Amino acid sequence: MEEKTEKLKNEARKLLEKGQVCRIVGFEPGSLKFTTTPLITGEKDELDRLVINPFIVNNLSVYLTGLKGCVAVVAKGCDSRSIVSLIQDNKVNREDVVILGIPCSGIVDLSKIEYLVGKDRDELDDITVANNSITVTVGGEKREFTKSKVLFDNCLGCELPTPREYDILIGEQVAPSPALESGKLKELKDMPPEERWRFWKEEFSRCIRCYACRNVCPACFCNRCFVEETEPQWLLPTPHWQDNLLFQVTRTIHVAGRCTECGECQRACPVGIPLRSMTREMYDLAGELFHYKAGMDKDEEPLLTAYEVEEAENFFG
Amino acid sequence: MEPKTDWEPRVVGFLCKWCSYAGADLAGTSRKKYPANIRIIRVPCSGRVDPLFILRALRLGFDGVLVSGCHPGDCHYQTGNYRARRRFAITRKILEGMGVEPQRVQASWVSASEGGKFVEVVTGMIDEIKKLGPNELFTDGRKNRKTEK
Ligand code: SF4
Ligand code: SF4
Ligand code: FES
Repeated sequence: MEEKTEKLKNEARKLLEKGQVCRIVGFEPGSLKFTTTPLITGEKDELDRLVINPFIVNNLSVYLTGLKGCVAVVAKGCDSRSIVSLIQDNKVNREDVVILGIPCSGIVDLSKIEYLVGKDRDELDDITVANNSITVTVGGEKREFTKSKVLFDNCLGCELPTPREYDILIGEQVAPSPALESGKLKELKDMPPEERWRFWKEEFSRCIRCYACRNVCPACFCNRCFVEETEPQWLLPTPHWQDNLLFQVTRTIHVAGRCTECGECQRACPVGIPLRSMTREMYDLAGELFHYKAGMDKDEEPLLTAYEVEEAENFFG
Repeated sequence: MEPKTDWEPRVVGFLCKWCSYAGADLAGTSRKKYPANIRIIRVPCSGRVDPLFILRALRLGFDGVLVSGCHPGDCHYQTGNYRARRRFAITRKILEGMGVEPQRVQASWVSASEGGKFVEVVTGMIDEIKKLGPNELFTDGRKNRKTEK
């Protein structure tokens, strides 16, 4: 990790010195122990704050549409797919970004660790990540967990840990991990329809319509979102579950084929709605119906622009 | 669900003006009978139908939504219906995954000369929805102010 951080700092410095980019988008340590927070800087003396570690959770590609080029961005495998998807949609020019690719062996979900050891992150002494396990030191005592217990859910079936699209790779290639995920989605599939609807109704009764899910999503790049339209007003601005649900389903459909399953929406949600159960379903649908995987190939036509003359024929009578 | 005797389904139909709308018109001018439960909204092309239209109709309490456009290869704008098909397919599937009865969300290809097919499609859909009963997805036990009298 130290090595990678050093390499990143060097590369970032070179890029700024050569004037190849105006800004670097990366991570620096956050205010809470172990956490990281995005760093956007054009100052060479701030580059020392950059870090790479197993806690660099955010998908920084969300900043690219706003920054409008001349940037170098740190991207894990999943983030690189979001960038590719933005390139496919002509939101980002490939020549305008330098992708600092990070081969990733999974990002640690601190909430899972807190839950497992029953302590707050501030009370933990150390977390070390090995090949298949993670060791947490608390009060001098070491506890070991398998990775599948403490990584973020969306890391567990990661299809592209090493970015395919990059300019500079920081570290060694990592092979995709076999799908370890079970979780909510399967449970939902086994429920009868009425129960599934009740499940979502209850979940969306908690939604406070903060729009964090939308704002953090790199695939949600519209200048004006349908939720803010007033003529017509598609949904009520007040958080009734009906409109909350309408909002989220429509959002999921609008990002179909762009959503790379990075999991940011679910992490951003302050009331813990399992949004990935919805995005995952859409991701799988794109695969099943149209053999499409978001953000894999920058030259591919986007899911909702492309078509085949013969496909999905059973949907139209 | 209690089958209500005085209940009649209300279905919105988004019909492409070049084919299906003309098909519906032909059904009318040739004095074919089809259920009056369908409320037709004319759209310039099936490709105009944003999934949001479908969701919003269900949210307002409509019992079903029909999207209808030109047959593959016949779209006035060449590719509008192919794109509509992709969008419609994922919309219907994601709704089904959430527990919405798929019969409430249907689509068909109806050309301007297929007045008979239009009648069949609408009759079939209304029959299926009658079996399902009213759309209570968004009711929440309360009456929906906007749509229920
Ligand atoms: S919808 Fe959620 S999981 Fe998908 S790209 Fe956006 S933030 Fe990531
Ligand atoms: S982040 Fe959660 S609470 Fe906020 S709008 Fe999205 S679903 Fe609702
Ligand atoms: S013009 Fe009829 S579907 Fe496009």
